[in-house]
Amino acid sequence: MAEAKIPVDLILSKLAGDAEKAPERIQKAKDVLLSELDTAIATTPYEVVYQEDRVKLKHYYPVLPKNKLMKTPLLVVYALINRETMLDLQPGRSIVQNFLNDGIDLYMIDWGYPTRKDKFLTIDDHVNGYMDNIVDFIRRKHNLPKINLMGICMGGAFSVMYSALHPEKIQNLVTTVTPTNFDTDQGLLHIWMKNVDADRMVKTYGNMPGDLMNLGFLLLNPARLMIDKYVGFLENVDNKNFVENFVRMEKWIFDSPDVPGETFRQFIQDCYQKNLLIQSKMELGGRRVDLKKITMPLINFYGQYDHLVPPAACELLTSKVGSKDTQDICLKTGHIGIYVSSKFQKEFAPKIANWLKEREPVKPKRGVKKTSSRKKPAKKKVAKSGSVPASPQP
Amino acid sequence: MNEKKTETFDPKPLLEAWLKTATNFWGPVLETWSATSGTPETSLNQAESRTMKNLDSALKSWKVLSSVMSEPEAGKSILEGIQTLPEIVLKMTQTGWDGYLKLQQQWYERLLGIGQSTEAYRFDNLDQDAVNVWREIYEKEFQRLLHMPQLGLTRLYQERANTTLDNFTLFQAAIAEFLQLLFLPMEKSIQVIQEKVAEMADEGQLPENPKVYYQMWIKILEGHYMTLLKSPEYTTKMDTTLGAFDNFIASKNEILQDFLQTLPVPTDKDMDELYQEIYLLKKRMREHEKTHEVETSRQEPQS
Repeated sequence: MAEAKIPVDLILSKLAGDAEKAPERIQKAKDVLLSELDTAIATTPYEVVYQEDRVKLKHYYPVLPKNKLMKTPLLVVYALINRETMLDLQPGRSIVQNFLNDGIDLYMIDWGYPTRKDKFLTIDDHVNGYMDNIVDFIRRKHNLPKINLMGICMGGAFSVMYSALHPEKIQNLVTTVTPTNFDTDQGLLHIWMKNVDADRMVKTYGNMPGDLMNLGFLLLNPARLMIDKYVGFLENVDNKNFVENFVRMEKWIFDSPDVPGETFRQFIQDCYQKNLLIQSKMELGGRRVDLKKITMPLINFYGQYDHLVPPAACELLTSKVGSKDTQDICLKTGHIGIYVSSKFQKEFAPKIANWLKEREPVKPKRGVKKTSSRKKPAKKKVAKSGSVPASPQP
Repeated sequence: MNEKKTETFDPKPLLEAWLKTATNFWGPVLETWSATSGTPETSLNQAESRTMKNLDSALKSWKVLSSVMSEPEAGKSILEGIQTLPEIVLKMTQTGWDGYLKLQQQWYERLLGIGQSTEAYRFDNLDQDAVNVWREIYEKEFQRLLHMPQLGLTRLYQERANTTLDNFTLFQAAIAEFLQLLFLPMEKSIQVIQEKVAEMADEGQLPENPKVYYQMWIKILEGHYMTLLKSPEYTTKMDTTLGAFDNFIASKNEILQDFLQTLPVPTDKDMDELYQEIYLLKKRMREHEKTHEVETSRQEPQS
């Protein structure tokens, strides 16, 4: 029988070495944790220019002079799950900052924290109610017939629905990690939601509790999200920068508002279970959401390693809309890596800004015959991120 | 001595002796008490004489009862009723004991399974029996008691209390099964990493850095979870657990509603009705506003 060649002595000496460094690290960690930590999120200044019930409209103060700003403002619609503060996590990792630096006149919806009285609000109330009123407000304020619209995740689904129902009000549409096709088994959520009894849950809870949804998201990958993440934290707990970034992310990820009951019910039944949206069969307030009515330019971002909204849930959209100017961009990252990864900060926001600038309506000069401002519609492109370097999953 | 031990205990003489003693004691006491109350009736004495009349009637009822009970047939039927009580208790204890023995058998079988090699990333032969046995025992033996129809003025509240208790038990069972299922990848990954380390040791390729072992284990664990979380067994178990939780919350809320209704505070049900009315009113108002805006904008150019 061969002798087991376990280098016990080497393993033990390594452990001993680590043990020697441990007191110093523990002291450093203590200093870090007990010191003043800068963990504030969403620090880019804005003002609330419109409010309806719990919903607020934030307008970020431009950082560029007025003549350098894009004429058409951009309205960003986040999901009802978690908070839009993720887009402005910290200086240096802020999509909001990047948009402002690129000359975008930026508005963002803050969906607030639904209470029991909001349990009757449907998707129709959010899309044709709050969103429509906000779009009209921005149009009136800027004296423009159309604005740019960008949606994230469930907010992207809302933006798609809105654009199909009100195409005359939207100049360009940007969708990011937006689920539109739910008939796939690529993601765990898509498998799990098929069996969920939404009626029973709404009857029991009223609004869908944010904490319960958070628990569900953690169960998507318990090994990484409940064990490895905190092991990583302990390994770097003596690094102030790391701790601050970690705490910011923790603040955001566990800041989960409840989802209004009727909205939750319809999203699960009509989208996850019946997959009506991609089939243009979904109805809001008696009106059918016909994707062919989306005739404005569309750019669609999604993450190759997104375990919440897999590529199969996103990539069909551009083939179902009526627009001829569409583009798919698949980035080598996960669901929120697009927004929080420092690598993609340099790629994502400037790409959107440039895409919007190319499609900015040009005001005709005096004495010059008005020509069509539209560029020749680009052919449908699918960028498989050949030029974008691979990024580890967040 | 041995013959005495084999004789069965007959409680009948004891019962008769008790009846006789009680009658002999209470009878003269009550008669003496009633005899001393020969004073003329006044308003104060009226209350006292009512008390004496009640005592008299109680004494008479007792005499009748004791004479009935002293008859052999009545005494026999009472004794038989009393003797069935231990049988009921015995049966319940036996059921509980059988259930415990079943559980113990399952544990022993699991213990015997330790040390057998395991196939990575496979969850066949899940030890369902062990986790389900408590729920089966409960559903077979105890749940029926909680589903018995209730009687009386407070029957509705009693039924709700029983339903809540039933749902709570079912939820506890479901969450225990769910957590046990969630823990399976942990067990399997530890077994797999042990086998892997043994293989690497045989090949002489063991890394020195302990962190490498952790990285290997976490990757194996992640893989196991990915396999489990996609499986129909997990999805079904998750749905069952969610359903059990929802049922428990719903029944608990019903009881709380009943309790809140005794206090001067609005319940969730009251507030929901109000919220719905407000929601519908606001919706109608907004529709009217929009219609009015459109009509106003049409009329403006004319004026």
